[in-house]
Amino acid sequence: MPYRVMRESLNAVIDSLSDGMLVTDTQGKIILYNRKAETFLSMQGETALGQPFQNHIQNEVLVRLITKILSLELPYRTEEVCLIDLGDERLRVHVNPVRNEEGSLIGSVTLLHDVARLNAIDKIRANFLSMVSHQLKSPLSSTLLQTSLILDGIVGDVNEKQRDLLQKVRTKIKGMVNLIHDILDVCFIEEGGYLSQLENLDLAEILQRTVELMQPQTQDKNIKLNVTIEDHLPTITGNKSSVEAMLINLISNAIKYTPSGGEVSVVMSENANNVQIEVSDTGIGLEEEDIPRIFDKFYRVRSETTKNISGTGLGLSIVKRVVDAHYGAINVESRVGEGATFTILLPVR
Amino acid sequence: MEKKKILLVDDDADFTEAIKLLLESRSYNVAVANDGMEGLNKVRTEDPDLIILDVMMPEMDGYQVCARLKIDPLYSKIPILLLTAVGDAIPTTSYTKEMGMKIEADDYIPKPAEPVDIVERVEKLLKISVGKKT
Repeated sequence: MPYRVMRESLNAVIDSLSDGMLVTDTQGKIILYNRKAETFLSMQGETALGQPFQNHIQNEVLVRLITKILSLELPYRTEEVCLIDLGDERLRVHVNPVRNEEGSLIGSVTLLHDVARLNAIDKIRANFLSMVSHQLKSPLSSTLLQTSLILDGIVGDVNEKQRDLLQKVRTKIKGMVNLIHDILDVCFIEEGGYLSQLENLDLAEILQRTVELMQPQTQDKNIKLNVTIEDHLPTITGNKSSVEAMLINLISNAIKYTPSGGEVSVVMSENANNVQIEVSDTGIGLEEEDIPRIFDKFYRVRSETTKNISGTGLGLSIVKRVVDAHYGAINVESRVGEGATFTILLPVR
Repeated sequence: MEKKKILLVDDDADFTEAIKLLLESRSYNVAVANDGMEGLNKVRTEDPDLIILDVMMPEMDGYQVCARLKIDPLYSKIPILLLTAVGDAIPTTSYTKEMGMKIEADDYIPKPAEPVDIVERVEKLLKISVGKKT
């Protein structure tokens, strides 16, 4: 029986992997690990089997990720990916929930992959993107200002047709500037810039300010924006500007995909040990097949209804990255024509 | 009433040309410097009422120019408006709004800026600085 053969050699196979592997049960007790994990994590003693994983992992980030995957307070357990430094090694870590055939959680599996070289390339790429974006932004700023001056009549009268064309130029340039801002946001998050600027955040206050920023957008489209914020919400530890970017992108996305006269509701509340942010709209909704891809960089849903909606395709990928950077979780529920609800949980730490 | 003089320090000639047109249409006198060093020299020769300063410039950047002026008792009272493409909602480089304010720039406006915003900030800064200049 092939199955039996596989089982017998499974230990040897797992021990021969070039990646580290560590499996826990739902209680966090180690039930399987290979040689490479032992090396990466500098595991001491005869055996770690049966012991809580916290006894063998010193890295705080990794402990938090495994805890998150096993946490019963987070209903949306998906793969967690991050970069950590262990001694001299830089590792890309994947932590996944392990489920049995019925779909119940039975533990966690952690893979540790050495990415020292890949990471160096990543950094060069991010720096390059950020440099290019800055170089692009300067001339665009000049062009935008020049166009505004002509439109304002500062350098002479402008006729109707010229005005019309210049307005279009202006709109296009503004779109490009927005794209550059989004790329810079993504670079910033990918470079790990948020880690150096953590503070206690009053999410209610940040949300209120974001909502004020959204007023022109909602008025333009005649969309009702309902905001409910629970009293006495706990603060979270995070990076202010990236959380602001997350809220701006999430809410303006809801406004963008909701036809005129619709409603967008934002509810902020406490859920177990998390602050929960729920953004729902009465918009065009999502096809089931699009849902897994909407957080990908530059992915945009292409259809008759969306072809006239402008965007960079980066908004939701920024949201997802910020949520991940704060060890949170995000879930989407939607049906075509019935709007969408995005739920974010940010853990209180 | 005598026209107020504004010194523009930016290495992007298209940008300074546009700002100059804008400010001159609002009856300001405008002097232009194309880099930080020239900016410092022109502060001495032009005696401006306000300085609009770009941040990212070759050789000497806007922060250095600002810091030098703010420690010089002769020029520390001249209001400085930092106008720059760096320091967005999320700071991607070491150039941030916080840093600009730390070196005592009087105001900060991100590029791209709308003409009305630039004029508004300039007017505000000049109003505050009335009587400050020695």
